[in-house]
Amino acid sequence: MNWNITALIICFIVCAIAVWKEVTRTNRARLGLRIVAVIVAVAALAGIALPLTYQVDTTQQNKPEVILLTTGFNPDSLSRYNNSRLFTLDNSIKKRYQQAILLNTIDELTADSSVTQLRVFGDGLDEDQLQQLHYLPVIFHPEVLKQGITAIGWNEQLKAGEELLVQGTFKNSSTNPIKLLLYGLGTALDSVVIKPKSTATFQLKNTPKISGRAVYHLLTITGRDTLGNESLPIQIEAAIPLKVLMLTASPDFESRFLKNWLSANGYAVAARSAISKDKFNNEFINLDQVPLEHLSAQTIGKFDVLVGDLSVLKSLSTQEAAVLKTEVSQKGLGIIVRADSSSGNSWLQHNFPLAVLQGRDTLASVLIIRGRDQHLDKLNPGSFYIRFQQGTQPLIQDEHGHILVSSTLAGNGKLMYTSLSNTFNWMLAGNENDYTALWALLIHRASRKTLVNESWSVSTPVPTVLNPVSLQLQSSGVATSMVGSIMLAPQQSQLLPFEYQYQYWPQKPGWQSVKINNGVLNWWYVYREDEWKSLRILKKQSDTKNYGINSRNTNNVTKQIQKKATISVSKIYAYILLLLACTFLWFEAKASGIKLSSKKRVLNNQKL
Amino acid sequence: MTKQEVMYKVKSMRRWYVGYQVSAGFLFAAAFTVALGTLLFFLLSCSVTWLWVVLLIAFILYIIYTRPWRINEYSILNFLDRHYPELEESGNLLLKSDDELNLLERLQQTKIREQFAAIPVQQKQFLKPLKQAALILISVALVCFVLIKVVPHDLHQIGFTGLHQSGTKNTPIEKLLPQIAAVEVSMSPPAYTGKPTRTQDKLTIDAEEGAVVSWKISTNIPVKQLALLFNYKERVSLTALNHDRIVWGARKKISQPGFYQVSIDGKLSDLYQVQVIKDQPPVVRIKTPKPYTYIDAGEAQKINIDAAVTDDYGINNALIVATVAKGSGEAVKFKEYKLDFSTSFNGHSPQYNLQKLINLPSLNMEPGDELYFYIQATDTHQQQSRTDVYTVSIQDTAQLLSMDGILTGTDQKPEFFRSERQIILDAEKLLKDKDSISTEKFKSRSNDLGTDQKLLRLRYGKFLGEESENDMGGNENDAVSDINNYGNADVIKDKYTDKHDNAEDADFFDPLLKNQLKATLTEMWKAELQLRLYKPQNALPFAYKALRLLKDLQQKSRLYVAKTAFNPPPLKLEKRLSGDLTKVNQPIIKQNIKPGVDQLVSLRKAVEILEQLKSGGGLSSKDLQVLALTNQQLSLQASAEPRIYLAALSAMRRILSDRSNIKPDDITRVEKAIQKTLTPAKRMPVAMQNPVDMGLSQEYYKNLNQLNR
Repeated sequence: MNWNITALIICFIVCAIAVWKEVTRTNRARLGLRIVAVIVAVAALAGIALPLTYQVDTTQQNKPEVILLTTGFNPDSLSRYNNSRLFTLDNSIKKRYQQAILLNTIDELTADSSVTQLRVFGDGLDEDQLQQLHYLPVIFHPEVLKQGITAIGWNEQLKAGEELLVQGTFKNSSTNPIKLLLYGLGTALDSVVIKPKSTATFQLKNTPKISGRAVYHLLTITGRDTLGNESLPIQIEAAIPLKVLMLTASPDFESRFLKNWLSANGYAVAARSAISKDKFNNEFINLDQVPLEHLSAQTIGKFDVLVGDLSVLKSLSTQEAAVLKTEVSQKGLGIIVRADSSSGNSWLQHNFPLAVLQGRDTLASVLIIRGRDQHLDKLNPGSFYIRFQQGTQPLIQDEHGHILVSSTLAGNGKLMYTSLSNTFNWMLAGNENDYTALWALLIHRASRKTLVNESWSVSTPVPTVLNPVSLQLQSSGVATSMVGSIMLAPQQSQLLPFEYQYQYWPQKPGWQSVKINNGVLNWWYVYREDEWKSLRILKKQSDTKNYGINSRNTNNVTKQIQKKATISVSKIYAYILLLLACTFLWFEAKASGIKLSSKKRVLNNQKL
Repeated sequence: MTKQEVMYKVKSMRRWYVGYQVSAGFLFAAAFTVALGTLLFFLLSCSVTWLWVVLLIAFILYIIYTRPWRINEYSILNFLDRHYPELEESGNLLLKSDDELNLLERLQQTKIREQFAAIPVQQKQFLKPLKQAALILISVALVCFVLIKVVPHDLHQIGFTGLHQSGTKNTPIEKLLPQIAAVEVSMSPPAYTGKPTRTQDKLTIDAEEGAVVSWKISTNIPVKQLALLFNYKERVSLTALNHDRIVWGARKKISQPGFYQVSIDGKLSDLYQVQVIKDQPPVVRIKTPKPYTYIDAGEAQKINIDAAVTDDYGINNALIVATVAKGSGEAVKFKEYKLDFSTSFNGHSPQYNLQKLINLPSLNMEPGDELYFYIQATDTHQQQSRTDVYTVSIQDTAQLLSMDGILTGTDQKPEFFRSERQIILDAEKLLKDKDSISTEKFKSRSNDLGTDQKLLRLRYGKFLGEESENDMGGNENDAVSDINNYGNADVIKDKYTDKHDNAEDADFFDPLLKNQLKATLTEMWKAELQLRLYKPQNALPFAYKALRLLKDLQQKSRLYVAKTAFNPPPLKLEKRLSGDLTKVNQPIIKQNIKPGVDQLVSLRKAVEILEQLKSGGGLSSKDLQVLALTNQQLSLQASAEPRIYLAALSAMRRILSDRSNIKPDDITRVEKAIQKTLTPAKRMPVAMQNPVDMGLSQEYYKNLNQLNR
């Protein structure tokens, strides 16, 4: 009050002085306008200094609000709803907040016909509870998540030697840096620090050395305190050897090293290399002998990948070529074509136009695997590179950006084109890691996809004990399934006949097995109650929010009553008025000044 | 106030003063002692007990310095005079006897006595040194306390006792068998360490390589048999040292790391680790000279070798092994010297700073020679180590002064140098035959040789552009004198100008070569003269000299002969790959290569089983087998590196022995060891999976194909 009066007095004095100044000005042009402008400016100043309010009639529901308190709500947020009915489903909230009425189930609310709309405070309700609301309109007041992991993803199913990659975002609202630690087998494997007061993405990596199932952990550490310990279940499968067919125009080191490397690791290799006209050297390693002189569908069908020189593949007889094309486009065989300088426009090469490397580009260069943060050792790229074309996916490039290995889809299969012909240099130099990385990538990408009979997945984001978990099965045949020793009944998808849903309520945390009657065991993980809290809260919030949006459409009209409400005026109007008035005054002063000076000049001229 | 009272009061004041001074001195001394103690504790980690002596000494020094006993009653009264104006500078009168005073003084004395009664015995000024001392003590104590709290305690260990940091801190608490009452393990380190025998009451052994360890185990009940089992393999029986069979003893030389157990009547104890501290070879570091030193002409031909030799126990000897290389090319000669440092190594101390000044001429080194040396050190364990070879070379002045490189741009030489030798051989033969042939024949042969010599000289003379025999007389077909050429300027120009651009006429040789060639020709002239005079005997020295000069010319430069290329005959393309190959069999190679067995496969699998145990699952017999294999692998690792793997091995044993009561800590420990042991898995290519969609995507592709058509 005191401030208001002081401000008003000051404004009044300022106004009086300004008006008096305007009146006593020698140039009396536009006096009225100027006085108005001055008054407006001072009034606007007063408006900025003083809080202005006005009162309007508002409508409000005639009965008190029904409020449901859920975990994580902030008592301060209830201050606007003093005379409302409070409910809660949580025992601990009831203890803390005595006014709230404890409900056993959410049904008790829906049964009460007087409840037409529900305000939900806190983290919201889970999907199951929302379903029980039966489309009761809900206005959700979510509590902002303070701190924690807000998104997470990792490759749960790994092949031996594959890297575990944990990615996510973390919100750190504390003033201390928080360290995220990937922890497995009693060892800290990787860590990242989230800066204080920030939300950041993070990425943690490690290549597990073990096989089978294991649970790694993601620890959240600040200083010496461990804030969180989340499980990262992973399953590591051994690699199943593939069958590789190699066709070379002549015996060379590249194919010899590739053959040796593959066979030393238990892979089946059949190699045919021309040693003279119509004479071939045939090798079968870890494989029964098959006729390789003439490629038939039956022969090719036995292999997962074909590695061949372009000249050999182009010189195949028309019949063989047709068989090969069908195998690739229909049956999904992959071909790795080793480029040579032979020109032409066969289906094998028209996607991969070659260009000649020149100057320093032909020098040894570091090879980069595209899309992976991995640099391979220096290698001489040869004399060609592949020019990029739409529809192809470059896999390997050198440090100047020249594509050296590229791939494209060919019907069901894959076509891969490589201009590298001396990767064996790595092996000679004892660099098996880079050699393995390159060829593992190429063969993995090119190989024929295996057929599986069933594929399980868990569609519940974070399965926990005593909460429904939905398991999804993709299988050609329907069957009852077993989780442990419990039988589950399938629910077939209406649109996709090969998809089945199962629901299961886990009894204890840890690994759970699931299998079809006579299928193989599949494993999935049930988390403890205290894991991934922040994620579950976010899930609940988004579910409740979505429910709220969907339910609003059915919001029915209720009787309203009139009430006075005080609304404060936004200060922006005062600022605009002040600016306008000042602009006018400034402009007016300028304009009259110009007029005056020009008049003076006229007078001077006359004197002269 | 009577005189006695005054006397008493002044004396008590003095007592107070002295008391305050002494206690201030004590506090000062205490502050000094605390500061000194903290400093020494940090720097040298000395014990604190003898600081009492320091305190006493500091106190006495302070007292001697301040000498509080010198303060007598008069000093006190002087002090009071200065601080209390009411005494009117007459305090001294108070102590004087009445008969010493005159009337005025007596009057003054009586007046002052009353004033004196009002002065308090305790003076504030007396407290001042005490307050100061207390303040200093408190601040010093505070600073030291903060230092001790903040600075890590083992600071001194890093700097001073880094080598001898033993594992006593990190050793876990040992679990002994219940029968064992006491253990006494004494370790006698081998002689080379120079360490005394030490005794401990723990079974974990941290011994130097080759140390003899003796165990003395007392049991609380008589036992039949007591043995130590090393690495699950080696068994060392203890012998009873008394009749009650309560005290047992054994000795063993420790040379391998690993672990051991105590077995009492067949019952095995926990695992105890055996660490072996290996003796490190001595380390020699040469500070000067640099690896390659070049002494220029004019510089002092001496080098100063400054080296530091360190070892973990002691240095036995160190010497410089120097090799002097003289000469160059194939004529190089080596001579080896062994130089001692003047330092005596009798002390076998672990570190020596060695210096040696080598005077190079004393090693018979001349300009152009090189000295190679290295320092070889031997430690008390007779382990040797040596530095890289350092090189010192003295500039070759002879080569510097030679003008060879400057004068001869290119070395070229005449074609034939053979016949001078022939002439010498013939001349010698002629001399041999002199007695058996007629004089005419001798003369004619001598003359013939002279002619040969002349021809040879003329041939060499051509290289020098000397006129040939033909040029000597008048030239009949002189083009200039030809009448037909009269007025032909070209002919005249041709005769009287130098044709520099004519390759034939241009000088092939550089001046030096020319000089030598000229000298050769002179010798040939002289030889020819003697031959013409039928004195082949006298011709021989000149001929030899000419030959030597020619040889020199030959040696001066070497010819570079370019390789000639091989030109293969052209291929007939129509014949290529047209041979009949019908009878050639196609080779077919079949083999089965099994991938190498992964030694660690059980370890890789073990983690899954351990996880299962963690969540309270049961184990199949297959799982148990994997765990047993894991145990084996871990024990192998533990015997190699007990410090790292022994804890895991014990944990594994606990897991295997009592599966109903497994601690998560033990599992974590084992998992950690597994992670440490395993090598990274290789990433091999694998096939991707087709989606299980009853051929839906196939259908999609087919339809898409039809649309595209």
